[in-house]
Amino acid sequence: MLMLMCVCVRLQLFYSFFKSLVGKDVVVELKNDLSICGTLHSVDQYLNIKLTDISVTDPEKYPHMLSVKNCFIRGSVVRYVQLPADEVDTQLLQDAARKEAMQQKQ
Amino acid sequence: MFRFQSLDEDCTLEEEDDGLIEEEDEIDQFNDDTFGAGAIDDDWQEEHKRLAGLDKKDELTAGDDESADPRSPLDNRLSLPPLGFSSSSALQSGDVEDKVSEGGLAESLARLILEADPAVAGVGAAERPAVPSPGSTSVFPSLHGLLSQSTSVQQQQQRLSSVAPPPAPMLSYQQQQHLLRRGTAPIGQMNSHSIWENSLGFGPVSVPPGLVTHMEDSPLMSIIKEVGLPKRPPRSDEGPDLSERVPPPRSSSPVIGSPPVRAVPIGTPPKQPMSHTLNHQIHHPTAVHVRAPVQHRFPAPFPERLSPNTLLNIANSPLCRSPFPPRVGPVLSQIQRAQLLNSQVAGFPRGAPGLLPGGGGFRPFFGGHPPPHAHRMVPPPPLGPPNHTPIRHNTTILHPQHRRLLSQRLLSRGGDQSRPGLDRRSRDPYSNLMTPKEKDWVTKIQMMQLQSTDPYLDDYYYQNYYEKMEKRQEGERDSSSRKEHTTKLITPQVAKVEHTYRPVQFAGSLGKLTVSSVNNPRKMIDAVVTSRTDDEEKREKQVWNKRRQILYTVEKMYSLLLEVQDFEKRFLQVPEEERQTLLEQHKANTEQLCSALREKEWDNRVSDEQCVMIMSVRKGKRLVSRLLPFLSTPLANAVVMAIARNFPTLAKKDKQDQVLFWLVEPVSSVIQSLSSSLLTDLLQELQGSEGQLSSVLHNKFGVTLLYLILSEGERMQSSDPNCQLMDDNRWTELVFSVTRELLSVPASSLAPPLFTPPNLLSLFSRYVDRQRLELLQDKLQISALSR
Repeated sequence: MLMLMCVCVRLQLFYSFFKSLVGKDVVVELKNDLSICGTLHSVDQYLNIKLTDISVTDPEKYPHMLSVKNCFIRGSVVRYVQLPADEVDTQLLQDAARKEAMQQKQ
Repeated sequence: MFRFQSLDEDCTLEEEDDGLIEEEDEIDQFNDDTFGAGAIDDDWQEEHKRLAGLDKKDELTAGDDESADPRSPLDNRLSLPPLGFSSSSALQSGDVEDKVSEGGLAESLARLILEADPAVAGVGAAERPAVPSPGSTSVFPSLHGLLSQSTSVQQQQQRLSSVAPPPAPMLSYQQQQHLLRRGTAPIGQMNSHSIWENSLGFGPVSVPPGLVTHMEDSPLMSIIKEVGLPKRPPRSDEGPDLSERVPPPRSSSPVIGSPPVRAVPIGTPPKQPMSHTLNHQIHHPTAVHVRAPVQHRFPAPFPERLSPNTLLNIANSPLCRSPFPPRVGPVLSQIQRAQLLNSQVAGFPRGAPGLLPGGGGFRPFFGGHPPPHAHRMVPPPPLGPPNHTPIRHNTTILHPQHRRLLSQRLLSRGGDQSRPGLDRRSRDPYSNLMTPKEKDWVTKIQMMQLQSTDPYLDDYYYQNYYEKMEKRQEGERDSSSRKEHTTKLITPQVAKVEHTYRPVQFAGSLGKLTVSSVNNPRKMIDAVVTSRTDDEEKREKQVWNKRRQILYTVEKMYSLLLEVQDFEKRFLQVPEEERQTLLEQHKANTEQLCSALREKEWDNRVSDEQCVMIMSVRKGKRLVSRLLPFLSTPLANAVVMAIARNFPTLAKKDKQDQVLFWLVEPVSSVIQSLSSSLLTDLLQELQGSEGQLSSVLHNKFGVTLLYLILSEGERMQSSDPNCQLMDDNRWTELVFSVTRELLSVPASSLAPPLFTPPNLLSLFSRYVDRQRLELLQDKLQISALSR
């Protein structure tokens, strides 16, 4: 039980954040420089991301991705996630971050 | 055959050995020692050749009663004489190898495997009652018993193919043989054969053709054909104890020091469904249920079923189509889906209804199964034909608002997309690899990590985001058509259980025992947490940097503010007893906040400097704007005064950020609650020293503020005739000066306000003459309609 809970010893901020973005279009840039644009289908506590209807931003460079429609991206390989700005409430995000910091301190 | 009646087993074996010696060139004594005298002596290569060549041989008849069963070698002898006329090719030579029946090795191996594997044993056991008895005579039950105990179906096949109608006399003779061996017929020698009754294996059984054809029917038989039927465990026994297949409970570590443990630890994989069925079998001997698990157990051996890879290649990549098309289809129950799938698998339509009874609505795609006690999502409304796979977003519990948004989105998108082939989707190559039980188990583990004791805190962003969205939408919507209920997200809450670990200690011992298990891992480092006090922190952090200090102060205030904001919510949730403490805490927080605004602790006034300092930072402005509603009225008023007083500074500092407008809303609410004298004071402050007003007018926020004040004054005047606004001339004078300034200021430099209150015109009309009024109107673009 203890071991299982270690992941969620309260790094749920981004998980919560990404949950609110499910269904929105995002661009995920991976550490191997591949950028994938798609609709966020789901996210888990490890910030693994599932995208549907993906398209690679630079198709010529990655032809092997032509036929791929949906993908699962392991959270650890993500470098950036580009989000639509109007879907994010920065104030709320700041508050959530503050709360998380408070929790961590306790 | 009757030679060995009176002898016990040992003797007979020895005798057999002696008998074999002449034929064998060499005795593998070591082999005998290792495996016992019953071990097969023959050359495995020869055996293999023979067995491999068995397929071609179809001369074999039911007379292949001899078997090379290591455990009962006597069967060879037993069945030899009667086989003289029955089997043609089997007994050409008198070699030992030929004595061993063709299917003997396979059969014995099969027996070995099958008996060891309770899963298959369960199959065999199931088969037995499922197999209907075609005949009515008492012979057949015994035959069936034999059939299930040890049969090489291969031989049956051969028997069938070779001897299309088995010669009646032969059959009956074999029946007799088996009767004898079984001891069911009242023949004298029966008693002596009772020792074979429970023997583990002997010759095959003649199967009436009808039975075989029936058996060939089911795909189950394909397994049996390959592998042979296992011995049926005797009814009286307890079934094989399948709980041994389950790994031992995780916390098998000593009880000492371990916290209490559940009956079934998390890590236990689900029990094989066989065990359940077997148990059921024992208690309720109906075989209907048993078929279902088998379906899952043996997808691979089915010769008809292609591996996912081959299917892929053949079917032109069924993965091309999206496994979760954006169309929201109806919930395809697991049974329906199984039926779809099973219709693809050749020859097993009967099993479908019995399959997969659990998990209605569970779909074998990405994502987990929502926890059973969670607030279940209403399944999305059906859109297309029933075979559509609905998109699965319920990896987590969605806020109803979120869900609504998603379904709307899917609706809009679904119309555009073309529908991929139905049949391809139904033949998902990756289905059926795991039982629903296993899937549930895996998702249960995943979901357990997401259980939280305080979902509001853990899931802060998500919950608040959708709450805000709801409020926003409500605001946009007509207030008359307000929704009767605001959708609220209900998340599962796990009770907080404190597991305090106390290291085990024995009296009189030195130190602690280092007994660690998975539930109480050992401490690696004995670290002590020391938190520095705020003062020290302040000193340490670069105090000389004023900005940093300000930021630090702001952050501290923010945390207090958040607590204060959440107070109300928590107050409602918290039980009665704790409310008092919460209230006190709240008060303390507020007090702290207020004191932060003051420069010195004992000074009750709000410090201008402090306020300005805070507001010089962007964050601070936001903080103040959020803080104002929570402050007490005098404090709030003081703050607003401070804003007005120090407006130029604020305006200057805000040049880069341009975020003063954040203050508009809270300030306006404060203004509206001001008394007339205070209002006048405020206006005065705003005007302040010489030239301040012009800077006010240059600033958007300033203009807005001014308008707010003026409009408030006007409202006061118009609503309440005896308001004290006009008691002293201050107000009038101030307004005069404002209008003068407004007129003199060039229009270009006049900043457009955020909004223009409607009653400004009426205000000005009181104080200025017509000409000026018109000028003002033009300048300020106050429309006459607002009158």
